[in-house]
Amino acid sequence: MTGSYSRLFAFDARTGEEKWQYDARLPDGIMPCCDVVNRGAAIHGDKIIFATLDARLVALNRITGKVIWNKQIADYKEGYSATAAPLIVKGMVITGNSGGEFGVVGAVEARDVNTGELIWHRPVIEGHMGTLKGKDNGITGKLNATWQGDLWKSGGGATWLGGTYDPETNLLFFGTGNPAPWNSHLRPGDNLYTASTLAIDPETGVIKWHYQTTPHDGWDFDGVNEFIPFDATINGKPMKLGAKADRNGYFFVLDRTNGKFISANKFVMQTTWANGFNKAGKPNVIPEGRPPAPGEGKGKPVFASPSFLGGKNWMPMAYSQDTGLFYIPSNDWGMDIWNEPIAYKKGAAYLGAGFTIKSIAEDHIGALRAMDPKTGKIMWEYKNKAPLWGGVLTTGGNLVFTGTPEGFLKAFDAKTGQELWKFQTGSGVVGSPVTWEQDGEQYVAVMSGWGGAVPLWGGEVAKSFKDINQGGALWVFKLPK
Amino acid sequence: MLSRRAWMGGAGAALALGLLPGHSHAAPLAKVKALGTLRVVVYKDNRPWSWEESGKLVGLDVDLAQAIAVKLGVRADVAELVADESADDDLRNGVWKGGLLGFMPGDVMLHVPFDRTFAARNDQVAIVAPYYRESFALAGLGGAVPLEGMPTEWRGRRLAAELDSIPDFYLIGSFGGILTKDVAHYPTGSAAVDAVTGGRADAVIASRAQIEEGLHRAGERASRISLRKGPLPAFTSPGWDIGMAVKENSRTLGDAVEEITTAMAASGEMKALFARYGVTWTPANAAG
Repeated sequence: MTGSYSRLFAFDARTGEEKWQYDARLPDGIMPCCDVVNRGAAIHGDKIIFATLDARLVALNRITGKVIWNKQIADYKEGYSATAAPLIVKGMVITGNSGGEFGVVGAVEARDVNTGELIWHRPVIEGHMGTLKGKDNGITGKLNATWQGDLWKSGGGATWLGGTYDPETNLLFFGTGNPAPWNSHLRPGDNLYTASTLAIDPETGVIKWHYQTTPHDGWDFDGVNEFIPFDATINGKPMKLGAKADRNGYFFVLDRTNGKFISANKFVMQTTWANGFNKAGKPNVIPEGRPPAPGEGKGKPVFASPSFLGGKNWMPMAYSQDTGLFYIPSNDWGMDIWNEPIAYKKGAAYLGAGFTIKSIAEDHIGALRAMDPKTGKIMWEYKNKAPLWGGVLTTGGNLVFTGTPEGFLKAFDAKTGQELWKFQTGSGVVGSPVTWEQDGEQYVAVMSGWGGAVPLWGGEVAKSFKDINQGGALWVFKLPK
Repeated sequence: MLSRRAWMGGAGAALALGLLPGHSHAAPLAKVKALGTLRVVVYKDNRPWSWEESGKLVGLDVDLAQAIAVKLGVRADVAELVADESADDDLRNGVWKGGLLGFMPGDVMLHVPFDRTFAARNDQVAIVAPYYRESFALAGLGGAVPLEGMPTEWRGRRLAAELDSIPDFYLIGSFGGILTKDVAHYPTGSAAVDAVTGGRADAVIASRAQIEEGLHRAGERASRISLRKGPLPAFTSPGWDIGMAVKENSRTLGDAVEEITTAMAASGEMKALFARYGVTWTPANAAG
C-alpha cells in the first residue's frame, strides 16, 4: 500500500499488523504540482515496485521491505515527478512520467524488472526520438505536423496516470496529458500526441495507433484517463473494444485493435467546449467556449464545463462483465476563467489566467454513473454532495464499491444502483477499493485519508468538503456469504 | 491591508504605522537580533538575481541579503526557493507557511513584486522596501536585426525568449503569429540572452537586468550587441517594481529592512552593488 510523501507500507492481510514501511528520502527543492500523492505499486515475483515524487522508481523485496534497485527515471530539477502505479508486462516494468513545469515532455518507458535497466523510451510528443536498447528507434509522429516552431520541444503531454495492458492485442494503452503552454492560442494545431490515448507495442515502444480525445486542448482537460479493454457485440458484430471516460466529459468507445472511433457520449450534465462528436471521431467544437488569448476580453470570464478538474479525474472507473456496464466516478462542475492582468511568476510579470471552480447543480457535484457502452445511455446514477475522488470496484457478486470525501465506503447494486451498505471511515476516501479471496472469504479493503488536488483548487465548491478531516487508515471488510 | 504606497516615503511614516494598536511589533526584529541570524529567501536559478556558481550562491539578491544582514548586525542564512506556479504560491511557501516538503519559511523574501493588487490578495504578508524597477527590453546584433524597426521586420531572424514568458507571448502571439517559427525557446531569460552573446540567436527579449548582466559577462563578445532605444510597439508590460516580503505580523523587521534599503539607495551603495554585475540600478517607481 502506498501513501503520501512517497511511502510504501506492508500490512498482514489477515490481521492488519504492519510488517514494514519504506519512506523515500525526498530531496529539498521538489515542487509537486498536485499534492504529495502516490497512486499505487506493482508486484512481480518477490518484488514490489513503486515510483517516488523525485521521479525515481524503487524495487523492494515485498517480504522484507529491503531495496533491491532504485533508478532515476527523469530529473526532478527539470520539473519531472512520478506518482503513477507501474505496470508489469513480460518481465518489464512500464512507467509514465509526471510534471507540471514547462519544458516537461511526456514519455513511456520499459525497464528490466530485475535490474531496473532501461529497455525502451518513447516520448509522446511528435518530433522527439524514441530509443530501444540504447539505439535510436524512430521519432514520434512527424516533426512540426501539428506544432509550430520549436514548441514541440516543451510540448507537455505527461503520462502521469500510468497505463493498462491487453494481452489479446499485445498492446499497452497510455493516456497523455495536456499540451504546454497552457494558453492554446500560442500553439496552433492539434498538438499531437497530447490529450490522447496511445497504443504502444510492449516489445519496442513503437506507437501502433493513437486517438486524440481533445484536439488543441485549451481547457487543461488532459487525456490521461485509463483505457479499459472489453468485448461487446456492436451492430451484430463481436468486437474487441476499449473505453475511456475523459476529463472532457465524454465517454469514448474505440476499436482497441486499431484505434478506430466507435462512439463518444456525454457522461456529465454539461459540456460547454463541444457539442458531441462527429462520425469521424472529431469534436463539434463550440468556439465561444475556448478561454481567450492573453490581452483579449480582459476581465471578462468565460464559463467552461467541465472544470479543469474534469468530468472524471484520476480515479479509475470499473467495468462489470456481468452487467456489461461501466461505473464512472464523475463530477458535475464548471469554472469561470479569465485573463489575469496582474500575475507574477518567479518574481516577474507574467500573463496568467485566473479561475474559480463553480457548482452547476443544487444538490450534488459528484455522481457515480452506470454507463452502457453499447448505447451511451446512463442506466443509473448516485449523486453525492462533495466531488467524488476515489476509484470504483465491481465484484463478481454484482456489487459496486466506491468511497466519498464525506468518509463513507459505499456498496451499490450493480444493476439498479440501489445503495446497499455504507461505512464511515473517519476521513475522506480518495483511494480505490480492492477485493481478494483468502481462506475461503472475500475481502474488500479501502484506504481513507483526504487530500489530493481537490482541496488545493476547490474554489467555491470547497464548501462541500470544508469540514472533512485529514487522516490515514486502511479499512478491511469481509463480505457476508 | 494598508497600501504600501500610502506609507512610503521614509522612516517617519513607517514608524507611525508601527504605533498602530493591536500588533506586537517589537518581537520579530528583536528575535532576529537575538538569534543573530536573518533567514533570507531568494529564488533558485534566477540569474542575475540568485544562482549557484561553483557551489556558491551568487547574484544581486544574494549580495543584497548579505548587505542587509551586516547592517542589522546579524549573519545572513540565504535559502533558495524553487519557484511554484505563481508568485502568490511562493509567498506561501517562502514566507508565511512553508513548503509542502518542509521548506522553512524565511524572515524576509527578496524579489517579490511590489504591486498594489498583488499585495491586496496576499494579506498574510507585508510587502516592503521596493528596491528596483524591472522591465523588458530587446537586444540584438545591430547589423543583423533592425532593432528600432517594426517586429514584422524581424521575420526570418533567429529570435530568443524564455518559454511561456511575456516576451514569448509577444513574439509568437502578436502580429498574427508571423514570427512564431522564428522563436527559439529557452528555460530562462538569461539563457535566451546567452544564445545571442553565443552567436546562436540574433535578438532576444528579456528583462533588462538579464540582458545587461549577460552582456557584461560576455565582455568583448557582446560589443556588437545593443539594446533597442524606443518602446516595443503594442508591448503589454510597462515594467514592475520589486520589493521584499515579511510575515504580516513582522512589520518591525519590514520597517528596519526598508530603512536599510532606503539608505543604500541614497548613499549610492545600491547602485554600486548592481554595477558589479553590469546592471544599471533603476529605482522602483514606488520609491520615487
